[in-house]
Amino acid sequence: MVKVIEVEELAKTYGEVEAVRGIGFSVGAGEIFGFLGPNGAGKTTTIKILCTLLQPTSGRARLAGLDVATSPDQVRRRIGVIFQDPALDDRLTAEENLMLHAVAYRVPRADRAERIAEALRFVDLYERRKDLTRTFSGGMKRRLEIARGLIHRPEILFLDEPTTGLDPQTRARTWEVLRALRRDFGTTLFLTTHYMDEAENCDRIAIIDHGKIVALDTPAALKQRVGKDLVTARSADPEALARLLSEKYGITSTPADGGLSFLVEEGDAFIVKLLTTDRPALGGISVRRPTLDDVFLSLTGRQIREEGAQGQFARLRAAARGRG
Amino acid sequence: MFEVIYALWRRDMIKFLRDRRSLITSMVRPFLWLVAFGFGLRASVKLPGAGAGADFVSFLVPGMAAMTVLFSSMFAAISIVWEREFGFLKELLVAPTPRGAIVVAKLAAGSSTATVEAALMLALSPLLGARFSVGGALLALPLLALFGMAMNALGIVVAARMRSFEGFGSLINFVIQPIFFLSGALYPIDGLPRALRVIVLLNPMSYVVDAVRGLCLGVHHFPIALDVAVALAAALAFGALARRAFNKMEV
Repeated sequence: MVKVIEVEELAKTYGEVEAVRGIGFSVGAGEIFGFLGPNGAGKTTTIKILCTLLQPTSGRARLAGLDVATSPDQVRRRIGVIFQDPALDDRLTAEENLMLHAVAYRVPRADRAERIAEALRFVDLYERRKDLTRTFSGGMKRRLEIARGLIHRPEILFLDEPTTGLDPQTRARTWEVLRALRRDFGTTLFLTTHYMDEAENCDRIAIIDHGKIVALDTPAALKQRVGKDLVTARSADPEALARLLSEKYGITSTPADGGLSFLVEEGDAFIVKLLTTDRPALGGISVRRPTLDDVFLSLTGRQIREEGAQGQFARLRAAARGRG
Repeated sequence: MFEVIYALWRRDMIKFLRDRRSLITSMVRPFLWLVAFGFGLRASVKLPGAGAGADFVSFLVPGMAAMTVLFSSMFAAISIVWEREFGFLKELLVAPTPRGAIVVAKLAAGSSTATVEAALMLALSPLLGARFSVGGALLALPLLALFGMAMNALGIVVAARMRSFEGFGSLINFVIQPIFFLSGALYPIDGLPRALRVIVLLNPMSYVVDAVRGLCLGVHHFPIALDVAVALAAALAFGALARRAFNKMEV
């Protein structure tokens, strides 16, 4: 595969703070590549260096073979950037925002009107093209920014936290648009996120923590590394069940709502095994595959963020680690 | 390149024209001055060198035109703070557009809006009885535009260091007030105490006011060529400073 982003030993220091500490990776043409990590991990700093807004302290980054530090103008022509916070002129109309962008990126005059109309249709905002963007909702603004990112047909589109703050419906819609973008234009997408489900949309993910990449692989392979599934069993007699698990299978369990939870490899097969042995009565049983949150936790010992059922899984895993 | 400058200039003009209210409110300040100061002091002010019968309201009008440009172009620089705060500046900085072109477009827009306001103020001032040469006033507009660029550039230098609107507002007032009051916009330069006179002579606005007054009323203290040269020098010097401040700015 042709490499469109190549990063070697990239580092950025702000005074005493090492925001990015020597990271390296490459992204192939047409790939959807994600940077996953908690806030402050160095995601935005990396994206700012790649899109020429910041100079790296050391190391190299090349986009389409061009060094971002020494050929910023040529790099800028090839990329589109969608920032974490909306970067629209909210007192201009949707169409005026896109026209300004088309001129700034030197889109041939003859193509401008057509590309703007096409981009607006692509994100379903054509009907609103004459409206001031200050009247748009957060999701519409985000879609308009994506449309703007398409106007000059960038080879690489950078998206910093593309769906943060959007409602689930809008997030799903945004991802439809992004996938269509890759399908229809072959655009390479580089995005940062701290949402696990969003990272699942990527072909490959680099997990970043404290300015370093701690793992880089496909979402499936990363989850494979954690291996174990979470099984939750409801039982009237959890103590007896816990004893059985520990004596017969050597599994450590922790109490859960109305029963207990434990980690085991190939959880679905284990359930069948458990059901066919002599055991206390069960009120219900469920199995959950590991998530990227679990991957992050197993790599860093911390969670990206505490979130409902996942939080419970994390506490369990933390407990298991503590004992093991 | 010129197309980008034009597009960016046009963007600011569109917003200026959409916001009619600010155009109207910009007339309040000069007209309050003309009424309060012009009419209030008319009877007790004798203008040296202005010739007999010179009327104080008319004398003030060129100063008010320059003042309108000063306030308007300086405050226009708040758009830099605004656009950085609301992210639009990043979109411009990541575009394959030279930074210099962005600064030139900003200066052109800040100066254009200020000159439009000054022209409107000049056009309305005869309602208060001001009398001046219309041809002279038209000739004065390019000079006022040049002054607008200089002051907008100075505003950008301030704005590039500011993170908040309040900070910009208070600091810019701190810059504007002495430029205005120590410029000869409100009084003739002849006969000032020496210390004050030195300060007034160091203020580029004094030369702009002088030239506008010369063109409109035929009364001036310096050669008009000197006035124009000072305005041009100020625009170039502050423009260079604005360019540097813009380059160093972090988003």
